[in-house]
Amino acid sequence: MSLKRVASGSTSRVLKQTRLLPSRIHRYYSTPTSSNAPEDSDVVIVGGGPAGLALASALGSSDAVKQNLKITLVEFGDLEKVRGWNMPSDAFSNRVSSLTNVSQNFLEEIGAWDLVDEGRTCGLEEMKVWDGISDARIDFNAATLGLGSSMTAGNQMARLTENLNLQRGLLRHLDQHTNVSLLDNTKVDSIHHDGNDADGWPAVHLSNGKVLRARLLVGADGFNSPVRSYAGIESYGWNYPTHAIVATLQHAPRSLQPNTTAYQRFLPTGPIAFLPLSPTASSLVWSTRPALAAALKQTDPLVLVRMINAAFRLPEVSLRYLHDRILEASTAGAPLTPSEITDEIAWRERAHDIHEYSAYASASVDPVSVNIGIPPEGAELLPPLVENIQPGTVASFPLRFNHAEAYVGEGRGARTVLVGDAAHTIHPLAGQGLNLGLGDAECLARCITGAVQRGGDIGSHTALLPYARERYFENHKMMSAVDKLHKLYASTAPPVVWARSVGVEVLNELDALKAGVMASAGAGPGPGRGDASWGMAASGVEALVGGARVVTAVRDGVRAVGVGALQQLAQSLAGRSR
Amino acid sequence: MHRLIAPTRILRPRVFSSARLHRHLHHDHGTSTVNAAEIAHFSRLSSLWWDEHGEFAMLHRMNPHRVDFVRAKLREVGLEEEGEGWAAARGARVLSGLDVLDVGCGGGILTESLTRLGARTLAVDASESNVAIASLHAAADPHLASSMADGALEYRHTSSEVLAQEAKRFDVVCSMEVIEHVDNPAAFLRSCAELVKPGGHLILSTISRTPLAYLTTILFAEDLLRLVAPGTHTYAKFINPSELVDFFHREGWIARVEPTRREAEVRGMVYLPWKGDWALVPRGFRSSVAETNYLFWVRKPATSL
Repeated sequence: MSLKRVASGSTSRVLKQTRLLPSRIHRYYSTPTSSNAPEDSDVVIVGGGPAGLALASALGSSDAVKQNLKITLVEFGDLEKVRGWNMPSDAFSNRVSSLTNVSQNFLEEIGAWDLVDEGRTCGLEEMKVWDGISDARIDFNAATLGLGSSMTAGNQMARLTENLNLQRGLLRHLDQHTNVSLLDNTKVDSIHHDGNDADGWPAVHLSNGKVLRARLLVGADGFNSPVRSYAGIESYGWNYPTHAIVATLQHAPRSLQPNTTAYQRFLPTGPIAFLPLSPTASSLVWSTRPALAAALKQTDPLVLVRMINAAFRLPEVSLRYLHDRILEASTAGAPLTPSEITDEIAWRERAHDIHEYSAYASASVDPVSVNIGIPPEGAELLPPLVENIQPGTVASFPLRFNHAEAYVGEGRGARTVLVGDAAHTIHPLAGQGLNLGLGDAECLARCITGAVQRGGDIGSHTALLPYARERYFENHKMMSAVDKLHKLYASTAPPVVWARSVGVEVLNELDALKAGVMASAGAGPGPGRGDASWGMAASGVEALVGGARVVTAVRDGVRAVGVGALQQLAQSLAGRSR
Repeated sequence: MHRLIAPTRILRPRVFSSARLHRHLHHDHGTSTVNAAEIAHFSRLSSLWWDEHGEFAMLHRMNPHRVDFVRAKLREVGLEEEGEGWAAARGARVLSGLDVLDVGCGGGILTESLTRLGARTLAVDASESNVAIASLHAAADPHLASSMADGALEYRHTSSEVLAQEAKRFDVVCSMEVIEHVDNPAAFLRSCAELVKPGGHLILSTISRTPLAYLTTILFAEDLLRLVAPGTHTYAKFINPSELVDFFHREGWIARVEPTRREAEVRGMVYLPWKGDWALVPRGFRSSVAETNYLFWVRKPATSL
C-alpha cells in the first residue's frame, strides 16, 4: 500500500474499520543500508565540549527527561583525560572563561556546580576597561552596581573558571545519571538520512561500527560542525586579522586589595585582558596581529612578561614601536633578549616621564619589590606586575566570527539542532563564547523538557521552535555587539577615539546607567529585577538629558561610540535574567 | 484586553435567540453527523498533516497548549479529589494508564502527544485517509510503534456515533477542532458525552461564532494570509461557549447556567503573531476571553442522572 493510494482512499462512508498493523507498516520505513542494526536514541549529542556536556547534564538532571528519553553523547576525544584532570592548586590551565551569574545559576540548578572545584575559581568583583589611545575609562563594580545574588557568594559580576574545571565538573555530574550514555574515543564517520522523505531520522555512523538513529541530533561539534553540514545549514562569517595569545600569569599578591579585578585595555591591535584566578595567578587573553602573536609566542617567556606589563602601561605610540622591534628582531632571526626588551621599555618610560615609583613603571622596577608594601598612587588602575608565566601555558589561536543561518534543520535535514560553537563562533574579547554555549544548552534542555511534558516529539520543528526563537536573536545581539566593539576600538582616527572616549567617560560617571548596562546582572532568573535595572538605566539617561552639556555628549559621544554595543557586552558579561 | 464575558447576557442577542440556539444544537438529522464535503476536503489535505510548515502549521503550534489544558484539568481535579499524595505520586504523568478517546484525530497530532504521555489511546476519524496517514506516521516512530503493537495506541476509521453503540467507555474524551466541522453538533456532542465514563472528562476545542472569529479565522487566516486552506471553516458552524454550557446544562452535567469550576471551564486561546505561537488566556471562567478559539472542559457527573 503506497502513500499515494492511502491518500486517495475511500472517503465516502464510515463503515469499514481500518486498522493498520504496526508490524506491516514498519516495513515501509526500514532501510537496508547498514549491516549493523541501527540503535534508536532519543537525543544524540555530537561533541563533548562544555556546551555538549552541559546539555547532557541538564537533560540528565530533568525528571521528565529521565523517565522518557535515552540520551547518547558521542565524543572524538578521550573524556577520561578530562575526568582525571588535576593540577596543583597554584597552577592553572590557560583556557579560562568568565562565567556569568546566569551561567553559574544554571549550573547550580542542574546540580553540576557543586562538582566544579570552586576553590580554583575566582569571583569577579570589579572590571576596569580603558581606551588604549585616550585612556578614557569605565569601571564596573559589582558592589556599587548592586549586583550579585543570594545564589552566589558576595557581590560578583562573573566567576572566572578554567574550562577544564567546568568540563570535569559536568562529567562528574553526568556520571551520576544513568540515562546518559557517553561514547568517547568515538568518531562520527558519517551521518545519513534514514528514510525517503522528511519523516526519516538522521542515522549517525560511528567509528566503532555502531549506527545511532536519532530522534533529535544535536550538533555540539564545534566550528567545523559535521552535524551542521548534514543539516544543510549555511554559516557565514569572517576571520579577524587577529590572533589571541593566552597564558597563565604569575605575580605577587596585591598588598591593599584582593586580586578580584579584571582589566581590559583596548589597543588598536586588539584588546588585552587580565583575568584574576587566585591571589597570585591570573589569566591573559591578548588579541593582536597574527605576526606579533607568533613572534611573542616564540620569544623568551620573560620577554612576553615585559611586553604584557608594558601593554597595560605604556602609551600606544611606544607600544607600536616595541611591537615593531619585536617583529623586526624575530624576522631577522635574532629575537630580543629579556635584558634588551627591558632596556627598550625603560628607555620608553623615561621618554614619557614615567619615573620608577610610578604605577605605570614596569621595566625600571623589580616586580617583586613593587608588588610588596604600599603601592604607588594609581596602582589600583592597573593589574599587578606580572613576574612569570606558568611554563607551558602560552598558546595562540585565530579569531573568527561565524554564525549559522539557522539553529534548527529542516526538510531532509530535519531533527537536527545546533548549540555552542557549531552555531556561533565569537571574538573572545569578552569571554562570552562559553556563556553563549551554556545559554544554548540551558534553553534547549528547557525546550526538550517542555516538549516531553506535553507529549511532543522532541525532534519536531514545533518542539524546537522556541529554542531557535529564543537563542538566535539573543546570540546575534551579543555577537554583533562584540564585533562592533572590536572594530570600534581598532580605529586610531582622532574623531573616533574622541567620540568613543567621551561616550565611555560620560557613561562612567553615571552609576544608574551603568547598573542598567549590567542590567539584571547577577540577579539570577528573576524577570522583575531585570526590568527594574533597565528602568534605572532609563532614569539615568533622563538625568543625563537634563543638562545641555551632556546632551551634546550623549548625541556625539554615547551614540557615536555605539555604547549600545558596550551595554550589551557588559550586560552579558554580568549575566542577565531571562 | 481583559474583557468580561457573561455568555448569557452578551452573546445571546447577537445571532440567535435562546430558543433558536437550542434548535441549532439539537436539530438531529440522520445517524451520522459527518459531512461528506468536509471529509473530502480533509482527505485532500491528509498528506500535508505532518508538514509543520504547511497547512497545519497553526494546529501543530496550538497542540502543546491543548495538551497543557488537558493535563491542567486532570491534575486539578485529581488534586482536589485525591489529594496531594496522588499529585505527588503521579507527578507530571496525569494521563498515564487512562483510557482516552480522541474523536476526529486527523493526522494524529493530539493523539501522538496523549500516547506519549502514557494514555491508552483510541483515536478515530471519519476520513479513512486521515486514519491511514496517522497510522503510518505513528508507525515511523519507534516509541509509538511499540504502543501500537501492545494496544496502547489504536487508530480506527469510525465515528463517535458508531463507537457510542459499543460498550467501551473512556476516562477522557477529547475532540479538538472538530465540532465546528460537523453537520449536527448536538448529535455529535451527545455521542461524545455518551462515551465518557461517569466522573470522566470531555474536552473540546473550537471557535466562537463572533465577528472577531470571522475576521481572524476565516478572513485573515484563510482568505487573506492563507495560513489555513480556504474552505476549512464555515462561519455558521462556529459554536459559542455559552451554547456548549447551555447544552450540558440541559444534559444535566451542569447544575446551573453558570457552571462552577468543578463542572466546566472555558479557556480562550489566542494566536500571538509576534511570537508565532498560541497562548492560553489567563484563567477564570467568567473573565476568560473566548472570542475566537477556545477550549472547553466539562465533567460527567459520577452518578448518572
